[in-house]
Amino acid sequence: MNFQVATMLSDILKSLFKRPITENYPYERRSTPDRLRGQLAWNPEKCTGCNLCSKDCPSNAIEVITIDRKAKRFVMEYHADRCTYCAQCVQNCRFDCLSLSHEHWELAALSKQPFNMYYGKAEDVQTHRKKLAESKMPKPDPVTA
Amino acid sequence: MLALEKFIVPIGPQHPALKEPGHFEFAVDGETVTSVNVRLGYVHRGIEKATEDRNWAQNLYLLERICGICSHTHALCYSLGVEALAEVTAPPRAQVIRSLVAELERVHSHFLWLGVAAHEGGFDTLFMYSWRDRETIMDVLEGLTGNRVNYSANVLGGVKFDVDEKQRAAIQRGVDYLEERTHHYYKVVTTDSTFIRRTRGVGTLTTAQAEHVGVIGPMARASGIARDVRVDAPYAAYNLFPVNVVVETAGDLEARFVVRLKELLESYRLIREMVDNLPPGDLTVRMPRKVKEGEAISRIEAPRGEAFYFIKSNGGEKPERVKVRTPSLCNFMSIIATAPGHQLADMPMILAGIDPCFSCNDR
Amino acid sequence: MEIIQPIITLLFFPAGLFVMGNGLAYLWVDRKLVAQYQNRIGPRWFQPLADVVKLLSKEEIVPTGIEAWLFNGLPLLALACALTAAVYVPLVGLQPAWSFQGDLIVTVYLLSVVTMSLALAGANTANRFSLIGAVRTLTQLFSYEAPFMLALLGPALVAGSWQISTINAFTGQHWLILTQPIGCVVALVGLMGKLELPPFDAPEAETEIVKGALTEYGGRGLALFQLAKAVELVVGLTLIAAFYLGGIGNPIEFFVKTLAILLVLAGLQSLFARFRIEQTAKWWRFAALLLLVQWLIIALLGGKTL
Ligand code: SF4
Ligand code: SF4
Repeated sequence: MNFQVATMLSDILKSLFKRPITENYPYERRSTPDRLRGQLAWNPEKCTGCNLCSKDCPSNAIEVITIDRKAKRFVMEYHADRCTYCAQCVQNCRFDCLSLSHEHWELAALSKQPFNMYYGKAEDVQTHRKKLAESKMPKPDPVTA
Repeated sequence: MLALEKFIVPIGPQHPALKEPGHFEFAVDGETVTSVNVRLGYVHRGIEKATEDRNWAQNLYLLERICGICSHTHALCYSLGVEALAEVTAPPRAQVIRSLVAELERVHSHFLWLGVAAHEGGFDTLFMYSWRDRETIMDVLEGLTGNRVNYSANVLGGVKFDVDEKQRAAIQRGVDYLEERTHHYYKVVTTDSTFIRRTRGVGTLTTAQAEHVGVIGPMARASGIARDVRVDAPYAAYNLFPVNVVVETAGDLEARFVVRLKELLESYRLIREMVDNLPPGDLTVRMPRKVKEGEAISRIEAPRGEAFYFIKSNGGEKPERVKVRTPSLCNFMSIIATAPGHQLADMPMILAGIDPCFSCNDR
Repeated sequence: MEIIQPIITLLFFPAGLFVMGNGLAYLWVDRKLVAQYQNRIGPRWFQPLADVVKLLSKEEIVPTGIEAWLFNGLPLLALACALTAAVYVPLVGLQPAWSFQGDLIVTVYLLSVVTMSLALAGANTANRFSLIGAVRTLTQLFSYEAPFMLALLGPALVAGSWQISTINAFTGQHWLILTQPIGCVVALVGLMGKLELPPFDAPEAETEIVKGALTEYGGRGLALFQLAKAVELVVGLTLIAAFYLGGIGNPIEFFVKTLAILLVLAGLQSLFARFRIEQTAKWWRFAALLLLVQWLIIALLGGKTL
């Protein structure tokens, strides 16, 4: 076995005249690969409200709330902070309603609020929010009522 | 009384040498270590118990998080076990993709280890360069699976994605580059005299000792024991793509470097063969929600050695018991056998030499 | 008015504040260069300064069961010695602020006191890492001190003087790196040993003994030790540049030469795996031997041809 010193000399000399490999994110950014799993996207047109997606979600990050099954009015509640981007929901949906976006992946936020998202048509979300607000109102005291 | 007078140097649970919590007590005489005491269990997270609370599919992702480095290992081992219980076999194409991701993961894990071991030996340049090159494989994995760490490549009954032409090209490009780099690192760790003086003859574990303490994985292979689950009991696609086991007999730290680096080269060969010979066909088969009653054992070769799963079903939607035995546990004992007589300065490298993974060890 | 001049020299320029600032800047250059060698970005220019400012503003936690005055006094001693050493060397190419026959010996010993106080600081605490660090620091001190001293005395020998300014003037006409290459290398590596830079960082090997002798220091003390090291770096670089690289006559020469040495120094830091402490000791025995051989040759040639 031959003994040598400074076997990495060629590496360090090359690096001396090269730009550092480190990317200066967020000032420098690469395009993301097509398959990157980012924020969940949902297509309400094809959804049947079967909730197969939420059944196998390992972190209870999604729920499809039915407002009116016949009129196909659904709202999806999505907790981006809980989501592990595993794509099990995408796999489970038989109607291809779900996908993980490779464009929206910078989801950091300073509070919990922005992580709680509602997907769906604007009016449906409105209805759902109203319902939610009502259910959170203090119940009338049974004795005085 | 003498025992009380020992000068004990504690390493861990909070110590810069170990970024993960484990506790080692080295009794030293001057700079020489005379005995070692290992204490584990600081990051017990109750994952095994938690599996009893989730359905079969959800557990896949929970178990994947046992380890951040060999995440695919755990998901794969679990899927194979559950599929055996449910009497379902994933289609051949899925099996090859599973093995492919497993080999890519081995590459990333060994590169990570190379860097950590170099850092423990105070060779930060090798550390920085090997981690820079590890980025290549991380990018390949990200492009292939969509995630960098917990790939979530498996579903019960198959895999989630296919390997298309674009992916194939990316994988080949990455592997070509890494192969060249691996040859370079091989040269560095086997010829650099400052480095060799830290590794050659240090932490030697003879074949007999290795058998005695029951080490597995690259540790065993560096001590002359040809033990590899990929060969002994092929799973996934390893019967289609046979592995040549790399064995070294020296048993010292240098042999561990050599084994892991040669394994990288072997992995590149496997990866190339796999992407070139993907069998056609489906990616998934249907998986029942309820798994038949019974017990299954599943073993696979993780980057650190054999991972072992015991899965018991009572016929419901959730498992009754999942028991995980990760490779690090078997290898910790080797420290007790090898450390005494060495310098304190060698301890971090001997520790790193087994490629310990505390998070998966404690679960 | 005569009193003003020395005060300025001592406190601001070229000793005192200036040399501290210069040391911190050089520390940054060193880190940046190592980063560049390792294909990384490295810290921003104010990082060493920010570290020191932050540490200075932090509370020093004095461990119980030790001599508090020693714990607080040793960092001061270290910095004071480093700064005093700076007075005797030709900083920025100016004449040394103070100079007398034999100041070379004083400078070298002042630099040793810096290391000694480091070791004492470690030995003063009950922390196991500090104790081991202290022992290693001393071991290393004893092993490199002799060759380093010999390497600096080589130029003194041929210049026929023990005064730094005289040697500097002499080396202005002679590039001793050409005639005493071994001495130059040993001096360079000795400086690395003194500053506990990798690969001679066994006394503060992070992966083994946390921060070695300084493990218990967290605030002001650590900052002062760091400043002392920064000053030591400048003093050491100046000495080597003055003795082996053709002397230092003006500011441009000073910066060009010291930075050139730093470039080599950073390269050496990134090329090797850490030496174990007994390997370090072995290395230095070898270096001392080589130096003696070189001395012998110089002595045989009578120093006339040099
Ligand atoms: S990606 Fe995974 S964690 Fe996220 S919502 Fe879908 S199933 Fe749940
Ligand atoms: S699985 Fe698909 S169709 Fe069913 S609720 Fe979820 S998104 Fe809608």
